[in-house]
Amino acid sequence: MSKYIATTTKDIKLLVRDIAGLAMLFGMPMVLIIVMTLLQDSTFKALEEKKLPIAIVNLDQDTFGVSIVEGLSTSKFFHVSELGRNYNSIEELKKQVTDGNYQIGIVINKDASNLLRNNIKYNILQQLPAEDSLIFGNDPISLMKSVGIDIYFDPITKNSFKQSIVSALNQYSSGVESKIMFEVYSSLFQELLGMEMRNQGDFSNLVDVQTLYAGDNEEFVPNSVQHNVPAWTIFAMFFIVIPLAGNIIKERESGISTRLRIIAGSNLPIILGKVTTFFFVGLIQAISMLLVGIFVLPLFGLPQLIIGGNYLTLLVLTASISLAASGYGVVIGTIASSQEQASIFGSISVVILAAIGGIWVPVFIMSDFMQILSMISPLNWALNGYYDVLLRNSGMMEIMPYMLTLIGFFAFCITIAWFVRNRREMA
Amino acid sequence: MSVSINISSLTKRYKNTEINAVDNISLAINKGEVFGLLGPNGAGKTTTISILCSLLKATSGTVEIMGKNLATDLYEIRSKIGMVPQDIALYPNLTAMENLNFFGRMYGIDAKVLTERKKELLHVFGLSEKAHQRIATFSGGMKRRINLITGILHMPKILFLDEPTVGIDVQSRTVIMDYLMTLMDNDMTIVYTSHHMEEAEKYCSRVAIIDMGRVIENGAPKELIHRYSECNNLEDIFLEITGRSLRD
Repeated sequence: MSKYIATTTKDIKLLVRDIAGLAMLFGMPMVLIIVMTLLQDSTFKALEEKKLPIAIVNLDQDTFGVSIVEGLSTSKFFHVSELGRNYNSIEELKKQVTDGNYQIGIVINKDASNLLRNNIKYNILQQLPAEDSLIFGNDPISLMKSVGIDIYFDPITKNSFKQSIVSALNQYSSGVESKIMFEVYSSLFQELLGMEMRNQGDFSNLVDVQTLYAGDNEEFVPNSVQHNVPAWTIFAMFFIVIPLAGNIIKERESGISTRLRIIAGSNLPIILGKVTTFFFVGLIQAISMLLVGIFVLPLFGLPQLIIGGNYLTLLVLTASISLAASGYGVVIGTIASSQEQASIFGSISVVILAAIGGIWVPVFIMSDFMQILSMISPLNWALNGYYDVLLRNSGMMEIMPYMLTLIGFFAFCITIAWFVRNRREMA
Repeated sequence: MSVSINISSLTKRYKNTEINAVDNISLAINKGEVFGLLGPNGAGKTTTISILCSLLKATSGTVEIMGKNLATDLYEIRSKIGMVPQDIALYPNLTAMENLNFFGRMYGIDAKVLTERKKELLHVFGLSEKAHQRIATFSGGMKRRINLITGILHMPKILFLDEPTVGIDVQSRTVIMDYLMTLMDNDMTIVYTSHHMEEAEKYCSRVAIIDMGRVIENGAPKELIHRYSECNNLEDIFLEITGRSLRD
């Protein structure tokens, strides 16, 4: 016990006296949280606030073309410019998109409305008795090719933007299809029944799609802060591997480890003393980053981080994460043979574990293989635990599997470090 | 006189090398003597002392320390030995006192005993007034002295020193060596390596000159000088038997 206390006291003193190191340990993660949350928040807002520039050449100039242009123009996501109404305009559109002046160019082909009407009439005729086949006149009606809309993308356009425009066009096309179908039916009723149709009514938004969050606690509103603060907190906590591994290697390079090795007894108290010091560093780091989410981020116009009432669960989970991070630092410091090795491997491995763990990109959008791979990342276990507490309002029992896995990871790392140190005892 | 360290056919070959760093060394070091391991660079001194300190495993041969086998009674032996490494193995951002407190507790020294011993040793080595200064601010000589104090804080039965006086002034060297003599008077066995032949001649009761991993001469300095009648001192003997060619 005395060795453990001596090591812990010594490491705390060394840490406290390294002012620059302390500033980096606590200052940099806070800056990281603020920058990343602002960045992510502005990316999401960009879709809403910064309208995507779209060039349109409408060769149709009938119901379909006009409705599509109107629909896109009134959308809050797009800034629409009509480049012209003839075939030459298509070349101009392509050039403008290629030059990057517009991210997306849309060409609504000539006679699109007529084609649509024709195909609707054809389909109606397929449903009427054969004796009524001349209801739309004597000219035979056959099914024509589908109405064409060509979309040109700037190569740098992100997939998410492509998906936005494609889904918007699908939505407006469906609306116009319905509108034209009603026109055709109206004229048909007028013709068949001799009724004077009023052509009124509002057929827009007949279906209201509402986005609601599952869960029984309305206090938690998923937003960039609720998502990013826990994610980047975990990322920063795991970066403790670099100072911790550096501390171990520095002792080895200075000969202090050699001196300690010839002292009788187990080296476990020395390992655990270091773990204790850096465990508290990780814990304080996490608490300070959560406090940044609560008190500092709102100063930047971001939503406040909502912790909820599960303080104990959050604390125990954070402690498990800090233990896992400290264990990882000890094993890297023990195995690496130089400071350079430890800092390069330590930082890159944390970045990789963060990437596969869903810190940057949500796991659910990853490929099946990557989703399976994500399960080996302790950062993924930590993130799932935080999301459960901060977004799903889960309690201690619900996050127990994540905590146990993190503590198991810590135990695994310490066992490896202890084993390697013992093997080196008598090289 | 009882044997403190008994080395028998000790050999060490490092991995991926074709020559023995220590080659079939046999020595008996008596209790309470200052034994010097002398030799040019790369002779095998540090390897030998590292094996004796239980930092390296011998390829073959046996080492008995105070009657215990190093290979089987490691922890028992470790509680009786001390080591002063060639490097300044201290925390530069801790004060001298904090370093001594840390290592003292690691040795398991009783708090009261530790307090008294720190006070005494800091006084002997002229560091009482600097006790609360960080090691980083110390001169080379002061660092060497505190490095030595840390190694003898638990008053081991056997003390291994790897070039304890390298790179320091005569004053610091004299204080260190004079204090080591007092330890010898208290029955502490001291094994040390050095390049200072004059120092070894003055302080060592016996020396072994090692080259290419082998003991090529062994005996009391005076006895060796007598044996090599054409040599005036230990340095002459050293050059005579190890040659004048440069070593890496």
